[in-house]
Amino acid sequence: MGAGRWLRTRSRNVLRIGRWEITKNAGGVDKRTILVAAVAMVGLAAMAPVAANQGVALDSGLYRVGVEPSSPYYGAVAADPTFVVQAPSPEAVEKGRQEVLIQGGTVADYARTQKGRAALAELRSTVQRYNDARMVDEPNQSAAFPVLVDLRYVDRDVSQIVVPNGESGSDETGSDSGTDLSVGTETDGASAGDGTSTASGDGGGSSGGDDGGSTAEGTAGTATDGDDDGSTGTDSGEDGSTGADGDDATTTATDTDGDQSGGLLGSVGDRFTASLSGGGVSGTPSDIQPPFPFRSLVLAFVFVLPLNFIIQAYGSTMLSERIKRRGELLLVAPVSRGDIIVGKTLPYFAAAIGIAAVIALGLDGGAVSVLAVAPLAMLFLSATFLGAMFARSFKELTFVTVTVTVSLTTYAFVPAIFTDVTPIALISPLTIVVRDLQGQAIGLGELAFSTLPPTATALVLFGLGAGLYREEDMFTQRPIPLKVLDALAGRIKRKRSVAFVTAILLPFVLVTELVAIAGLFALQALSLRLTIVLTLVAVAVIEEVAKSLHVYAGYVHAKFDRSLRTALTVGALSGVGFFLVEKLSLIVRLADLMSLDIGRAAFNESALSGPVVLSFLLAPLALHVVTASISAVGARRSRESYFLALLVAIAVHVAYNLTVVMVLGWQ
Amino acid sequence: MIEARGLRKEYGGFVAVEGSTFSVDSGEVFGIIGPNGAGKTTTLKMLAGLLEPTDGDVSVAGYQAGETEMRKRLGFLPEESPLYEEMTPVTYLSFFADLYDVPGGVADRRIHDTLDRLDLEHRERPLGDMSKGMKRKVAIARSLINDPDVLIYDEPGSGLDPLTTNYIIEFTRELGEQGKTIVFSAHNLFHVESICDRVAIMNEGRIVARGNLDELQREYGETRYHVYTTVEVADSVKENGNYRRVVESMDAVEETREAATARGGSVVDIRTEESSLEEVFLNVAEPEA
Repeated sequence: MGAGRWLRTRSRNVLRIGRWEITKNAGGVDKRTILVAAVAMVGLAAMAPVAANQGVALDSGLYRVGVEPSSPYYGAVAADPTFVVQAPSPEAVEKGRQEVLIQGGTVADYARTQKGRAALAELRSTVQRYNDARMVDEPNQSAAFPVLVDLRYVDRDVSQIVVPNGESGSDETGSDSGTDLSVGTETDGASAGDGTSTASGDGGGSSGGDDGGSTAEGTAGTATDGDDDGSTGTDSGEDGSTGADGDDATTTATDTDGDQSGGLLGSVGDRFTASLSGGGVSGTPSDIQPPFPFRSLVLAFVFVLPLNFIIQAYGSTMLSERIKRRGELLLVAPVSRGDIIVGKTLPYFAAAIGIAAVIALGLDGGAVSVLAVAPLAMLFLSATFLGAMFARSFKELTFVTVTVTVSLTTYAFVPAIFTDVTPIALISPLTIVVRDLQGQAIGLGELAFSTLPPTATALVLFGLGAGLYREEDMFTQRPIPLKVLDALAGRIKRKRSVAFVTAILLPFVLVTELVAIAGLFALQALSLRLTIVLTLVAVAVIEEVAKSLHVYAGYVHAKFDRSLRTALTVGALSGVGFFLVEKLSLIVRLADLMSLDIGRAAFNESALSGPVVLSFLLAPLALHVVTASISAVGARRSRESYFLALLVAIAVHVAYNLTVVMVLGWQ
Repeated sequence: MIEARGLRKEYGGFVAVEGSTFSVDSGEVFGIIGPNGAGKTTTLKMLAGLLEPTDGDVSVAGYQAGETEMRKRLGFLPEESPLYEEMTPVTYLSFFADLYDVPGGVADRRIHDTLDRLDLEHRERPLGDMSKGMKRKVAIARSLINDPDVLIYDEPGSGLDPLTTNYIIEFTRELGEQGKTIVFSAHNLFHVESICDRVAIMNEGRIVARGNLDELQREYGETRYHVYTTVEVADSVKENGNYRRVVESMDAVEETREAATARGGSVVDIRTEESSLEEVFLNVAEPEA
């Protein structure tokens, strides 16, 4: 059969099965349910942009305030939907029908309850906002705002976070610190290049520095006419005082410039970009707060939420094929297993992409957003598919889908919240989505870095699930661990298959390791040293299991004879397979990583030459071959021997990792 | 049409089928019988390409079991009828017609013709609302949607009332008469006996006997002679004015004749009775009994 005909046949079968999947499910849901679901989905799609941009107003009409229209507070209260304006009544306050009582220009009374106190606090904020807004409307802006502070939050440069030996950190850190601490640090009122700082009036910040002011990366300062009173200087001084913290920061970064223009506010600015702050904040300097990444959070949530619903339906339909033996008739039809799986998955994948497209459209996103959601959708569906192949009942399926939901949502959602905080956020495709929606440029390398691992993992999961999509595995009630072994053993036809299976498991290994690192990243309370050790242990466990589990499965399914020679052979094959694909992927990722800040930080060019490259190749090869062989030797005997050997292999691996880290320079 | 050579199927150490070798000619109706767990269903699934033999091989209509071309020529009816209960019979059958590349017009005609022949009414009713017998008829209609050369039916009358079972067995017989090659298993040996050209008896994963009914009876069955005499002889019972004695050999017949003559009587009739398939089956499956 020619390739064209083969493709046509596959496509036709897949589309038929996909159409069938839709038809049969549509037949099982009454029209009213479909209508309600459609309305709910449209509502969600319509609400998403609003929620993303404005949040949800749950506090409307929450507090009752008694205030006369003649009161100077009336305008502020009436303009805030949080409050309900009522006629002032001391009796109402007393009886709990009114939280705050304003008489004339003063707050006369408030309910002595938790709600009353909250209402009072809210009123203060409202009045302050109201006053700020009035100041903004003031025709003489110079009078309204004698000091203007122009904050620019810049993307965090990786050089700020990786300064292992103090060689390169000083200047750059100093520069950045200067940038960050620009608020109120410049005292002469002059604009400093394109960067830095502020101009104030004649008030003086208590600190500041030319270093900071002179850096190219500094925050642009905007000078006002600076003719005002000392209060401005006081403000600047307050800001400038934060420079002391920045100073600490630069000291940590081995900055020897004595740059005092670092500051807490600056470092916070590094973490949260101006794009999230919404901008245009006016008021006193104390109003300047680090923007919470609310928008990232909502955007990430909106995209990941529908996937959780889709996998429920998908898992249910796949399990029904097994539990009710419906899948048997498709297995005997003239279509391949691949056709069936792709065909049954396609409608759910299309639904995920369709919903993502609608949401992206509503949020002014582009095709990149949809493109980035695609691997995530595949990952959710593939994990659910494999889980549905393992589950023996709908009860177990619930456990599976909850596990998938929690683990993959964590993987996708948590890093995306920190889109603008750290480049590691790129491990999640949702980070690409958030960046796309925020109008940031996305490089091809970044896109590949985010999307290829989940895509490859999804394909591996589908592949493993497909190994179970056959009569003797689908319709039997075997324990899940045995099914895992079935799925792995199904891919082993001969000894050299071991290397292939190890290789195809690598994307799974990579993502698992990324998730583990993301988990450790979340545990910021741990010391750096402990975090590194835990990371090395996690990596060793993941890699050794990935190199040996299918070898053990092969022994369980009598794919190999149990001689020592065979064990060493399959172990070596597994190690070599892992090494080859790991290094290949490293080369590929290096190309991508070198375009990223994190990549440049991790692999500076001097480290990738001569003996270092050679040791990068030979030592890991030896490690993987040795540890995989240890596990294989244990696997040939029994389950207990395998576990014991696996522990030994992990210990060797951890020891190796620690040695490498110490040789390269433990900081 | 079907060639099975040395079939063996092992499930994690348990041997379900061992060394099964048989062939089925084109247009033949071939029955597989045996006690529960004998390996009948496993054998049928290996023929249908659903299960991969641990050893041995199967060819159907000239193709290896499981090949796409083979599947196009096959109609398979599993023991249960796993239908999509929210669908109507016509929608359900149309999907399978589409899957088997049956052109739309042909499929519509075939669906309605087959449902007419199966006497299935209420075709727009969801399958979930149908009786078990009606569902079984829809499942049979599905197995015929591609007009297959080979039919593999696993317990087609399983769990149905006698009336529906007879209807389905009769329908299967008609299919055989139309030239379809049919392999089917059944617990009701009367049904097998009534429609099968040849039979294989399985026990504990092995084919322990096979052949047409005559051959099986000759090899594993017994012939009994009912000798009717005018006078009472030993072990005889009175029946319609004469005496009937059942013996199992011609020598015993001769002895009976001599005994009747000695008492002044005579033999008026001798009738032979062959073992039923059930008796053959019992003899094969439980030789000690």
